[in-house]
Amino acid sequence: MIEFKNVSKVYPNGTNALKNISLHVEKGEFVFIVGSSGSGKSTFLKLIMHEEEPSCGEIFIDGIDITKLSKKEVPYLRRKMGIVFQDFRLIDKMNVFDNVAFAMRVTGASEKDVKKRVPYILGLVGLQDKSDRRPSELSGGEQQRVGLARALVNNPSIIIADEPTGNVDPTMSYEIVELLSEINKRGTTILMVTHEHNLVERFKKRVVEIDEGHVTSDNEVLEVGK
Amino acid sequence: MKVCSVKYLLAEGFRNVWKNWMMSIASIGVLVLCLVLTGSSALLSLNITNALGEIESKNSIKVCLKEDVDTDQAMAIGEKLKNIDNIASCEFYSREEAAEKYREQMGAIFDSMKDRNFLPHAFHITLKDISRYGETVEKIKQVEGVDTVVNRSELFEKLTKFDHFVSLAGIAVVLILTLVSLFIISNTIRLTMYNRRFEISIMKSVGATDWFVRLPFMVEGMIIGIISAIISSIILKFFYDFVISCVEKNISFFHTPFSDVSLPLFFSFLLAGIGFGLIGGLISISKYLKKEGGEVLGW
Repeated sequence: MIEFKNVSKVYPNGTNALKNISLHVEKGEFVFIVGSSGSGKSTFLKLIMHEEEPSCGEIFIDGIDITKLSKKEVPYLRRKMGIVFQDFRLIDKMNVFDNVAFAMRVTGASEKDVKKRVPYILGLVGLQDKSDRRPSELSGGEQQRVGLARALVNNPSIIIADEPTGNVDPTMSYEIVELLSEINKRGTTILMVTHEHNLVERFKKRVVEIDEGHVTSDNEVLEVGK
Repeated sequence: MKVCSVKYLLAEGFRNVWKNWMMSIASIGVLVLCLVLTGSSALLSLNITNALGEIESKNSIKVCLKEDVDTDQAMAIGEKLKNIDNIASCEFYSREEAAEKYREQMGAIFDSMKDRNFLPHAFHITLKDISRYGETVEKIKQVEGVDTVVNRSELFEKLTKFDHFVSLAGIAVVLILTLVSLFIISNTIRLTMYNRRFEISIMKSVGATDWFVRLPFMVEGMIIGIISAIISSIILKFFYDFVISCVEKNISFFHTPFSDVSLPLFFSFLLAGIGFGLIGGLISISKYLKKEGGEVLGW
């Protein structure tokens, strides 16, 4: 599913964010990525999303070397993944329904499909009753569930969650990871960056720790796929 | 591109104009101002050129014949004058007519001299090309029987120079305003874009193609352009008619009626408006399309 082969990333300012990383994530896995600030976690996600290109090495997603993609092919790569942000990134001018529908519409989906799919996904995250609300009228946990619904709506094979519980209270954090686990059980690969050790300990998933650009520990034993 | 996408993009463009109505009004205001200024200077230039042309055509050279030339001889001289190239028209102005005119103007003083008409026969000549004035006058002087050519070359030269100046100034004003408009519009749209960088970052993260991100902004630019063109045309019509009526109270002159230029003007405005909207939209969005993720948001 996702494979890093000897990947290094040096930014133009000289920062060596990732140093010769090799990593393999199977389809259907749930992986926590942990590490202190500046350890290289964000760079790791950016490389997968093709927001940055590696200085050397190869990255395969679904067997395709994404370092060789042309600029035009990048949007199609991103349609395979749903991204959940720490700060939710919802558009407050739009209600919950339109926020989720936005992700479908900008990829050229028909209104008929939008009307069918969005209520289904909102039901999945438990927000079917709030589709007319503005994001600002919702709690942090609910907003993040809208973010999750938006990430899910295009039926991605990978969910990339960058500290999704960072702005949510502990009870809600637990619910969100629970929701991600549910989604994972349906076969979606989940990569979740987090700082919260209690979540990592509670959910017993594969944990990859990145420190100063190296993978310092990886408990592949707990993989869901095996 | 799918039909539903086209519908979505158009709807999104209209919705953007509506949702960001303050920015839209600001953009329309600036664009209308620029179009009206550009249009006014073009109309001013057009009218001055027209007016000058009219003055030029009325400005004839007076060619006085020698005192002993009689009417028949004068007619022969007239034929010779007509044959000189660059002569547009050549009208005979007899000494009797001249005397009559003087009498009208001066009244009683002239009455005492009415039996002794010392005025010569003359011709009023107009030129095809004012810039060849000097050369033509030399040719006229060489015709036998011609006594003097009333020298008005200085006036002609000044008029010609002024005409050139007005044409050049008109073009310069239009060019400068075009650049200013483009600058202001692209900045206004860039501001809109800045307000919506958030949406752009989300669009990119969910896999919208660059064209899909770009098109609503271009549609938005075009809508703003079309609205501006319509408003500018209306404003300019009333402004033009008002100025013309004011000027005509003092000086009567031949002006181009607005209806003569309204269609070309409207279509130029429409083109300019759409062009500005499109180019402005493209200039401002390209900056955001090059960026990725948090960069779009300036983080």
